[in-house]
Amino acid sequence: RALAAGPEMHFGFQTVTEAERREKIYQVFESVAKKYDVMNDSMTLGIHRVWKDILMHKMNPSPGTLLLDVAGGTGDIAFRFINYVRSVREHQLQRKLKHHQNLSWQEIFESYQKDKSNSLGDSQVVVCDINREMLKVGKQKAQHLGYSEGLSWVLGNAEELPFDDDKFDVYTIAFGIRNVTRIDLALQEAYRVLKPGGRFLCLEFSHVSNPLLSRLYDLYSFQVIPVLGEVIAGDWKSYQYLVESIRRFPPQEELKAMIEDAGFFKVDYENLNFGIVAIHSGFKL
Amino acid sequence: VRCQHYPPLRALQASAVLGRVSDEHKKEPLTSSSQQHFDSHPAGHQPEEEPQGPRPSYTGQGGQESEDYESEEQLQHRILTAALEFVPEHGWTAEAIAEGAKTLGLSVAAAGMFHSDGSELILHFVSECNTKLSELLEKEQKLVQLGKAEKKPVDEFLRDAVEARLRMLIPYIEKWPQALSVLLLPRNIPSSLNLLSSMIDDIWHYAGDQSTDFNWYTRRAVLTGIYNTTELVMMQDSSPDFEDTWRFLHNRVADAMNMSSTASQVQSTGEAVVQGLMGAAVTVSNAETSRALR
Repeated sequence: RALAAGPEMHFGFQTVTEAERREKIYQVFESVAKKYDVMNDSMTLGIHRVWKDILMHKMNPSPGTLLLDVAGGTGDIAFRFINYVRSVREHQLQRKLKHHQNLSWQEIFESYQKDKSNSLGDSQVVVCDINREMLKVGKQKAQHLGYSEGLSWVLGNAEELPFDDDKFDVYTIAFGIRNVTRIDLALQEAYRVLKPGGRFLCLEFSHVSNPLLSRLYDLYSFQVIPVLGEVIAGDWKSYQYLVESIRRFPPQEELKAMIEDAGFFKVDYENLNFGIVAIHSGFKL
Repeated sequence: VRCQHYPPLRALQASAVLGRVSDEHKKEPLTSSSQQHFDSHPAGHQPEEEPQGPRPSYTGQGGQESEDYESEEQLQHRILTAALEFVPEHGWTAEAIAEGAKTLGLSVAAAGMFHSDGSELILHFVSECNTKLSELLEKEQKLVQLGKAEKKPVDEFLRDAVEARLRMLIPYIEKWPQALSVLLLPRNIPSSLNLLSSMIDDIWHYAGDQSTDFNWYTRRAVLTGIYNTTELVMMQDSSPDFEDTWRFLHNRVADAMNMSSTASQVQSTGEAVVQGLMGAAVTVSNAETSRALR
């Protein structure tokens, strides 16, 4: 794979080489890392939290699931996963206890102890990101919020994941695939590391087809967001890049075709907020 | 670049074949349906024949794809069938489906292919039961045709068919009320009604129903009523081997038989009444005419 002055690619609305693009994107996230969460909240008026919750609901993970969250940076998906699995596990345990109505107190106590120590039911999430700064912020957040169990942080490139084949039950990439330079490679890697039957989930900005809404959305994107970027994060350029990269990203159907090309089956997408955001799902069958 | 995907043939309908077998695929005894599909294009829908015994496991070795399946629908069928054994413990839920997927060597995430309320699992189960019932009735009919068994009278036939079909619910009876309520969701009503009516159709067909008139509808309505009410009674029955339910069934079928003879009585009485009225009208008009002529 030649990384030298290679083919022309887009960086927002600019044209750059492949290598330049990777470098520029790395710098973008290096500089926004500390204000990433704040900016997300202010740009989307907090709605990004709902989007991520919907993603988790769609995933509906059962305890024992092994999740790989790529471009997971500051850990939003990972923390939600842990919360979800923990509550499912609690329900499971409650139901088990109800079933065992005729056990002795001793037996109930013992089973309770055993299950309590396994509050996640062996579920695990690996957060993988190419950017050291984003991972740092994520780890700090985890410590701050008290997440320790079932969580690991790995530095890695979505186009060449440092994992073995057939390892994970679910692969997610939330608002990250847009920044990958070779999307097809990332999809192939996703396919590779998923177990048979595993699921690919992608949450990403997408194409708004409604013309009126599209105009409003464009207005908001190009006039408001970079200004917010300057005011809150002191970084106009990065948020200009963000907005432009959304426009350059393939629309729903095209991404669906790319996912199918990587070998996934039952590929489908769900539009959120009229297509501002879309969740694509596929299975490795 | 490590590129480990096989160019798949896009399966749009159940009849397309996707041949993707890994090098390390173990040559286990495949289910009979997979054997057929592997060699040729199946003509259309094949009834799923799942072995009821220990399933061949499809756990992968190394980093290779280890499944061998024909289309998405058929894989989904296999997962649902595998999930049935977990229903008594987990109910008709995505959890049961996840456990089923695990036994096939798939990730638990495969349960995401289905609705989280277990609708597909229940519909799959109902469809499988109906198929089993058809096969049972077909076998019985063959025996009668070969002269090895007596042809049953209609009421006994109906009783036995409904009992056989309801007995298939026994292993899942604890969670069946939950399934019934899911089947009543607006989303599921078209499919569940469809399955119900084709099952009733089947039973009448094997009972020797040759009618092409108004009776066709009454018969189906009556039997549907009998089936549904008996099913509900069964949910609340705690007698040994559900003997209360079968007694209830016996009575309902007997009622239905009586009702049909009453109905034909009513019909002939009705005819008689009409004829009487007609006769009276003719007599009156004759009397008028003769008075007018006088």
